[in-house]
Amino acid sequence: MVTKVKSKIIKKNRLTELLDKLAKEYDLIGPVQDNVISFKQVKSGSEITLDFVNSVLSPKNAFFPQTETLFRFSGDGEGFKAEPEPETDKERVIFGIRACDARSLHLMDMVFGGQLEDSYYMRKRAKTILIGLACFNPAETCFCPTFGIDPTSPEGVDIVFTDVDDRYWVQALTEKGASLLDQLAEFFDEPLGDEAKLKDAKAAGLTKMKKLDVAGLPDKMEPLYNDAYWESIGMKCLGCGICTYLCPTCHCFDLVDEGRDEGGERFRSWDSCMFPDFTLMASGENPRPDQKARVQQRFFHKLKYFPDRYGEVACTGCGRCLKYCPVNINITKIIGDVMSGKTKNE
Amino acid sequence: MTISSEELQAKIKKLFEEGTIDHFIGYEAGSDSLHTTPCFLKNGEQVSRLVWNPLCPYNLSKYLLDFREGEGRTGILVKGCDARSVVELLKQNQITRDEVFIVGIPCTGQVDPDKLLEVTGASPAEITGIKDEGDAFSVTVKGKTQKIDKQKLLRDKCMVCRYPTPPLYDTLLGEAVDSLPWVTDDYALVKEQESLSSEEKAAHWNNEFSQCIRCYACRNICPVCICKECIFDKKMPRWVTKSTALPENMVYHLIRAFHVAGRCVDCGECERACPMNIPLRSLNKKVEKDVLDLFDYTSGVDVDQPAPLTTYQTSDLEEFL
Repeated sequence: MVTKVKSKIIKKNRLTELLDKLAKEYDLIGPVQDNVISFKQVKSGSEITLDFVNSVLSPKNAFFPQTETLFRFSGDGEGFKAEPEPETDKERVIFGIRACDARSLHLMDMVFGGQLEDSYYMRKRAKTILIGLACFNPAETCFCPTFGIDPTSPEGVDIVFTDVDDRYWVQALTEKGASLLDQLAEFFDEPLGDEAKLKDAKAAGLTKMKKLDVAGLPDKMEPLYNDAYWESIGMKCLGCGICTYLCPTCHCFDLVDEGRDEGGERFRSWDSCMFPDFTLMASGENPRPDQKARVQQRFFHKLKYFPDRYGEVACTGCGRCLKYCPVNINITKIIGDVMSGKTKNE
Repeated sequence: MTISSEELQAKIKKLFEEGTIDHFIGYEAGSDSLHTTPCFLKNGEQVSRLVWNPLCPYNLSKYLLDFREGEGRTGILVKGCDARSVVELLKQNQITRDEVFIVGIPCTGQVDPDKLLEVTGASPAEITGIKDEGDAFSVTVKGKTQKIDKQKLLRDKCMVCRYPTPPLYDTLLGEAVDSLPWVTDDYALVKEQESLSSEEKAAHWNNEFSQCIRCYACRNICPVCICKECIFDKKMPRWVTKSTALPENMVYHLIRAFHVAGRCVDCGECERACPMNIPLRSLNKKVEKDVLDLFDYTSGVDVDQPAPLTTYQTSDLEEFL
């Protein structure tokens, strides 16, 4: 249970003003409507939209950018020099992060902050204050309760904003969050006392969300390694990168050196286990030669290898892969089939 | 009037029983009431899975490429647009005519789920039935059935569809439909683009391409993207990297648009698949219009008509030399 260290409210009509102030003092990142809604850095509060169920692209881009220069190199014919890509030390605030996406950062922290620390990711994490936004309008593709997530109470963030009536109930969950509230005290008032009740009433009105049974899922995956089931899914799968790129927990990347004789850069970019070249070796050998093998890998990584290694399933129930898959491959059906032993019928 | 799922199932069962087909690619129920999903049948016992309704946007012809090697004869369900890409696959010698059995279905429009949700204000679970009633769709929301004007719900590509009936088929289910009453100007979208200045066009497409995440869904779903090794996947030499910098994204989209010139049939699958809502059809439509103006050629209509960009004649104009 998280101890709430501070509780305040802000009138809704003062939110833009608050965000303007944040944008001035921090690098402010929030949900922005372009062709679709995604998390982007903004210059003013009015650029941020709060009219969304969830963004198409998760905020993982803010910590693990799709394309990120790691260092630049140059040579003069004699020697060779590598210089790290300069990064601003300015503190950042991400506003409007949902409970599922907050969980995904916790999952990625285990990868990038583990035994071999990824300094690029961890530096961004350390200098970022996360402001969560309680979700009362989940989509029918959402199934975050499966993983113990309460969409109305984001965890793993510094501050939570909860839309109640004419105001947001603002709760700091960490010291970092509390000190930001102190710093912005001019915008906040004391709670009126009915916020918890109002929130509970709203949460009670929530449509019943999908909650899958995942007890013992990694063990149920184990015997399916060579199952023909994956063929039925691989046959349908187009091998595009939508599921992996939109997934808030997928974190594989490629490293590329790009340059000429006089110099260049090494960058990393998202990569996808759905792509044939993901495992293609220089010899031409490809240990995952077909889409069946790739689909199997994706689900084994999420539902078996990751939990074996880190103790949690690499899914937050955000539903993006299911909602945006162009051929309607459905992870909730796959989990259901594995749990109920229905994979044999396919 | 369009046929029912039951009529489709009976027909396909018969095709299996007669030994006409060894596999069948069609549609089955998907994750919710607004989605079907492609399905692959191996025998006549499985036909009860098949559905046909106005929520079958998938162009299944791409899957024919996976059934190329001695797996018997594959039956495939095609709408008008899908059949046109089968024609293109035949023209490019990607599939063998004898190994494919084309089950054509006249299509009088596919529903765009996003438009449906907007028009009805309902959630997917509240919508329990969608039927094609010829001049309208009847939609059942929370148990109540209402008729909704087709033009409010159709996918954009269906608004300009000239080939509701497959131009090529082995058997046709239901009666052929010659034309759709709502189709007026195929190229309104393109003309709008053409009226812009170069600067305006650049600003528009720079903005669109900068949002691309290079998931390659548009390429992978495209029925005429048939290269075994795509130039964008090539490592030596490497023409583009996985970087999503604007120049890389632009090269990707422009090369793709040119590469499908004369073969794109406007099935609209690229635009439907794009998670970033990039209006890819307007790009491909422009190329389609240019091919029509330059070569008087419409793709996917006639298997015997020479393809404009892969046919050489000594009398060809070479004005640019």
